[in-house]
Amino acid sequence: MIPLLAFTRFEVGRLLRSWKFLVVTVGFPVVFYMLFLGDRSPNKVVDGVLPWRSYLLVSMCSFGALVASLTAGGARLSAERASGWSRQLRVTPIASWSYVVTKVAATMLVVLPVLVLVEAVGVGFGGVHLGAGMWFELSGLLWLSSLPFAFLGVFIGLLVHAETAFPVVTALMFALGYFGGLFVPVASMPHALQVVAHLLPSFHNTALGISLLAGRPPAISHSLVLLGYGAALALLLLIVHRREESRALG
Amino acid sequence: MSSSERGLAGIETHMLAAPEIDRPGHDPSGKPVPTSELALRFSGVGHRYGSRVALDHLDIAVPRGETVALLGPNGAGKSTAIALLLGLRKPHAGKVEVLGTTPRRAVAQGRVGAMLQTGSGSGLPPGVRVEAVLRLVQRLYRHPAPFDATVERAGIGEFLGRQTQRLSGGQAQRVRFAIAIAGDPELVFLDEPTAAMDVSGRRAFWRMIRTYGEEGRTIVFATHHLEEADQNAGRVVVVNHGRVVADGPGATLKAAVVARRVRFVCKRPDRELLDSLEGVTDVRVNGTGVVIDSLDADATVQALVQRRVGFKDLEVTGAGLEDAFIALTGAEPNHLAEDR
Ligand SMILES: Nc1ncnc2c1ncn2[C@@H]1O[C@H](COP(=O)(O)OP(=O)(O)OP(=O)(O)O)[C@@H](O)[C@H]1O
Ligand SMILES: [Mg+2]
Repeated sequence: MIPLLAFTRFEVGRLLRSWKFLVVTVGFPVVFYMLFLGDRSPNKVVDGVLPWRSYLLVSMCSFGALVASLTAGGARLSAERASGWSRQLRVTPIASWSYVVTKVAATMLVVLPVLVLVEAVGVGFGGVHLGAGMWFELSGLLWLSSLPFAFLGVFIGLLVHAETAFPVVTALMFALGYFGGLFVPVASMPHALQVVAHLLPSFHNTALGISLLAGRPPAISHSLVLLGYGAALALLLLIVHRREESRALG
Repeated sequence: MSSSERGLAGIETHMLAAPEIDRPGHDPSGKPVPTSELALRFSGVGHRYGSRVALDHLDIAVPRGETVALLGPNGAGKSTAIALLLGLRKPHAGKVEVLGTTPRRAVAQGRVGAMLQTGSGSGLPPGVRVEAVLRLVQRLYRHPAPFDATVERAGIGEFLGRQTQRLSGGQAQRVRFAIAIAGDPELVFLDEPTAAMDVSGRRAFWRMIRTYGEEGRTIVFATHHLEEADQNAGRVVVVNHGRVVADGPGATLKAAVVARRVRFVCKRPDRELLDSLEGVTDVRVNGTGVVIDSLDADATVQALVQRRVGFKDLEVTGAGLEDAFIALTGAEPNHLAEDR
C-alpha cells in the first residue's frame, strides 16, 4: 500500500506542478465559460428553471473534468510510455496493475481541484450563488461521475502511440464536449444530435449536475449509462493491460 | 576453450592461466554449481520477434558475485537477453532462472535492479525533479539502499534538484543508474550503461562499478565496446546472432582466436612458403612487409629460422581483442568507428 500511495502522490505532484497541464485543463473551461456566458443575457433561463450561467457552469465543470482526464491519463501517459519510464517501472517491485490503478487515481485526484477552480470562476465571474452544502454535493456528484472520463483517458494513454495521442485526445475532447451538449444545450440541438448526445457519457455527467441544481430527482438513466461506460472502459483497460503483459510472449 | 594448452608465445601466458570460472554453471574443478548459488541461468533459451530469431538456444549460467559482460554487435540479442532476465519478455523455448526463481518473482521481490536501453527516450518521467524520481523508486523497494549512498555512487548530487527533461544524455544515464541500484539489489543489469557518457565519465563509472561488484553483487552488463568488456568484467560472454560464440575471461577470447601476430620485413617474401609454416592462420604481404597471424608464434618463428626465411625487424605481438571479436562474430566492432 505504501508504494501505491507514494506513487500516486508522485503522479499528482507532477500534474499539479505542470503549468501546461493546469493552463489547458483550467484554461479551456474557464475561457469557454466566459465566452459562452457573454453571448447570452445573464438572466436567460434554460431547461425550464435553471439560469444559463448555472447550466453553463455545470457543463464547463464536466468539460474541465473531461479535459483533465484526457490530458493527464491520455496524452501524458502516452508520452511517458514512449520515454521508457513505464518500462523502467516494470522492473521495480511495484505490481504492473498498480501502474494503471495509480494513473486512474491520480487523474481523479487532479479532476477535483479543476472542478473547484472552474466553480470559483462561476461564482466570481458568472455570479452563481449556491449554498455551501449545494456546492459540496455538486462537486462530489460531478467528481464521481467523472470516473468514466478517467478510465477513458488512461485507456487512450495505454493504447495510442505518443505521436497520435495529441490529435486523438483533442478530437475526443471536443467531440464529447460538443455532441454531449456541453457547449450548446442539448434541448436546442437538432433531433439527430440529441439522440447522439444521449449516448455520450459527457451528456449524462452534466445532466446529473443539472438535475441537482434544478432540484429535480435525476433520471436513473444518467447513472446507468455512466455505470455502463465505467464498466466497459474498466474492462477495456484490463484488456489493454493484459495485452501489454502478454506482449512479452512475443 | 582451454587456450592454455595451445603453447602460445610465453609473454602473456599468465593471463591465460585457467580462468576461475571457465564453464557456465561449473566451478573451476568442474563440479556443477548448485542452482541456489547461481545468479541467473539460461537453459536452451530461444526468443523470436515475429519470425525474426533474436535468441537461438542460449545457454549461460552466472554464479553469484560475478561481473559478466555480454559482448556483441548491434542486433546480437543482448537487450533481448536482458529483457528475458527481467521478465519483460518470455522465452519461446527453454527456461530462464534468476536468483533461483522466475525473473518476474525476482523482480517483484526487489532483488534485481536494471538500467535498460532506452532508445530515443530518456527513460525518466518528465516534469519532475531528479530527487523526487529517485525517492519514489526507493519507496517501491522494501529494503532500499540509503538515499545518500545511491546519490554518491551514481554521482548525481549536482543535479538532484534539476527537472529530468533538462538533463544531458550522460546525466540522464547516471540517474537511470541510480534508479537501478536504489533498491540495493543483489543482481544488476546494465544495458550499454555508458553509451552517452564522455571518456572521463566512463572511466569514473567503471571504477565505481568495480567497487560495487566487489561488495558481492552480481553485475551483468551489455556492451559492444571490447575494451569495456575486457577491462571491467571477469568474464566476457560473446553473443552473436542470438548465440553464445565465446565465453571466458577477455584474455581467453583473445587467445582463442588469433593468438599472436608476427611482423617482419623480408626481401622477397614467399607467400606459399609462409602460409605453410606451423601455426599460421593468415599471411598478408605488402611489398617487403609481412604480417602473419599465428596460433603458435613460438613454432612459427622457429620455422622461419629453420626454413631460412631472411627476416629483419621481427616483432611478435598479441593480436587485439578487436581481431578476436571480428573473428568470432564476423562483425566490425562499432566502437572503432565511434571512439576513434
Ligand atoms: N521490439 C522488437 N521487435 C522486432 N524485432 C526486434 C525487437 N527488438 C529487437 N528486435 C530484433 O531482435 C534482434 C536482437 O535485438 P537486441 O535488441 O536484443 O540486440 P542488441 O544486441 O541489444 O543490439 P544493440 O547493440 O543494437 O542494442 C535484432 O535482430 C533486432 O532487430
Ligand atoms: Mg541492445
